[in-house]
Amino acid sequence: MKKKINFKEGLIYGIIGVATLFTIGILVFILGFIFSKGLPHLDSHFLTSQFDSTSAYVDVKLSEGTENPLGLILGEMTLKEKGSIEKQVIVVKDIEKTSLAESAVNNKGQNLAISKNDIINRIEGENVEGKSVDEVNQILNSINADKVTLRITKQGGGIFPMLMTTLMMIGLALLFSVPIGVLAAIYLVEYAKPGRFVNLVRFATESLAGIPSIIYGLFGMILFVMTLNFGYSLLAGALTLSIILLPVIIRQTEESLKAVPDSYREASFGLGANKIYTISRVIIPTAMPGIVVAIILSIGRIVGESAALLLTAGTAAKIPSSLFESGSTLTVKAYTLAKEEANIELASAIGSVIIIIILILNALSKLLSRKITKI
Amino acid sequence: MVNKFSIKNLDMYYGDFQALINVNMEILDKEITALIGPSGCGKSTFLRTLNRMNDLIEGVRVEGEILLDGENIYKDIDVTKLRTRIGMVFQKPNPFPMSVYDNVAYGPRAHGIKKKAELDEIVEKSLRRAAIWDEVKDRIKKNALSLSGGQQQRICIARALAVDPEVLLMDEPTSALDPISTLKVEDLAEELKKDITIIIVTHNMQQAARISDKTAFFLNGELIEFDETDIIFSVPKDKRTEDYITGRFG
Ligand SMILES: Nc1ncnc2c1ncn2[C@@H]1O[C@H](COP(=O)(O)OP(=O)(O)OP(=O)(O)O)[C@@H](O)[C@H]1O
Ligand SMILES: [Mg+2]
Repeated sequence: MKKKINFKEGLIYGIIGVATLFTIGILVFILGFIFSKGLPHLDSHFLTSQFDSTSAYVDVKLSEGTENPLGLILGEMTLKEKGSIEKQVIVVKDIEKTSLAESAVNNKGQNLAISKNDIINRIEGENVEGKSVDEVNQILNSINADKVTLRITKQGGGIFPMLMTTLMMIGLALLFSVPIGVLAAIYLVEYAKPGRFVNLVRFATESLAGIPSIIYGLFGMILFVMTLNFGYSLLAGALTLSIILLPVIIRQTEESLKAVPDSYREASFGLGANKIYTISRVIIPTAMPGIVVAIILSIGRIVGESAALLLTAGTAAKIPSSLFESGSTLTVKAYTLAKEEANIELASAIGSVIIIIILILNALSKLLSRKITKI
Repeated sequence: MVNKFSIKNLDMYYGDFQALINVNMEILDKEITALIGPSGCGKSTFLRTLNRMNDLIEGVRVEGEILLDGENIYKDIDVTKLRTRIGMVFQKPNPFPMSVYDNVAYGPRAHGIKKKAELDEIVEKSLRRAAIWDEVKDRIKKNALSLSGGQQQRICIARALAVDPEVLLMDEPTSALDPISTLKVEDLAEELKKDITIIIVTHNMQQAARISDKTAFFLNGELIEFDETDIIFSVPKDKRTEDYITGRFG
């Protein structure tokens, strides 16, 4: 018999339907907005170049090429400067095999390769801005020496430093938090006698998990940046992140350890294996997918974190060359771009990268969770 | 024949609850002893005191003496050593989620055997002793969980045999198995009896009668009667034993 839907039920279904559509609508709108603004920027240049443009004088040995003795195929490009002044510059379109541009050296004698998309500002001190490709090739062809000094500008606008900083942050924060978190969970599940102490630890981790990250950021700033004098640095950021991650890792690992059937423990002890052997050979391998999920969730947390890192790792848009240097992750950079530089386009482009990373992480953890439920 | 186990005035407590009351029992070497009795009477508890498996449970207290070849298992023998001398097979097959090979090699590895040739030999020998070699020899690297329940249980027996135990404790090893797998395990127990002592808990009277030499009847934590299986099942001395085996209670 077909069930009759009365008016009240119909109304409820209606409201649920509208709410669902609304939620999906918002999601589609947000993704659509960020992607439509950001995706056009995503190309290999965006992902692989520095954020700030840098200029330098380099010496290049002459060899041969189809258009000039540098073996560079040049092009013209219009550059928008601040204050919307436009100027036309000469840019390297391609580098021929015969070129020695790869082994160019700067005025300190270090190798500084000329690469695609680099702008040539000056040749032997002569400004070539506004000149045409033909004019520039003429200048180059008329040089009567075995090398030439160029002033080049490596174009910025890329997010390579932020990508690297994010990766470093992930690596460092996991390095601190995973061993501690997993060991703590093992202690809680396999060693601690159930009772007041375990309950206290559990209460503490749960409370910590609920604290907003700005609080951790303040704490990290006071302890790591100021008191321990690390300054705004990779290290201060990673340590602060580790503290944020600990409750996540402990809880998730605890759950996966508890899901290991007691019959495995009994079987192992029944064979005369000791506790450490049992934990390392049976319990951890069985709980491994859950621990990996904990790690993936943590990576998601690191990628998404902004407040705590702003206060501890700072906002430098370069790859930190030591633990004590500042560096901003993608999310922090998106924040400062939008807030301080009002560059919504670039912030959205970074946003698109972040969304793609998060989607991949989510898919990975779904895949693994399905694997866990199989055993 | 010599006494493998000698149990004297054994009391066992879970916290305040006394689960075993003054149990006295002599178990002979290379015999099968069946433990029967209604649910909750303490059969598993008794079995698990014999390899100190109950040590893992909070608040457990054991009084009295359990001697294995004359040595007190709670005082004279290291617990890991004890558990290699006394193997255990559980009610539900519990192979580890790893390959058949790694399951069987687990015990030897835990006790420090690393050489592949040596492990290979132990694995094959144990699987043969557990009468499952022919069925799994081509799938030895496959996950043990992919086998049938009956095969899993024999893998668990092989795993227990791999550390060369003198005694095998079996807690209702066939209650989760189909009749054919059950018969295979029973045949196996009778075969193993040539070398080792077996103590088996069962709810199946026919099984006890079929395979055991001695039968012990437990009730509410007490050992009511312990005798030759033939005697227990034909002319029990205690009225309560008779009531139980004729199905009048339990
Ligand atoms: N971990 C434990 N903590 C407290 N009491 C327990 C524990 N395990 C068993 N008991 C109690 O001890 C008594 C004996 O239990 P045991 O499991 O030995 O019975 P059994 O004879 O094996 O029963 P079954 O035939 O159902 O397996 C029961 O009353 C049980 O409730
Ligand atoms: Mg039982």
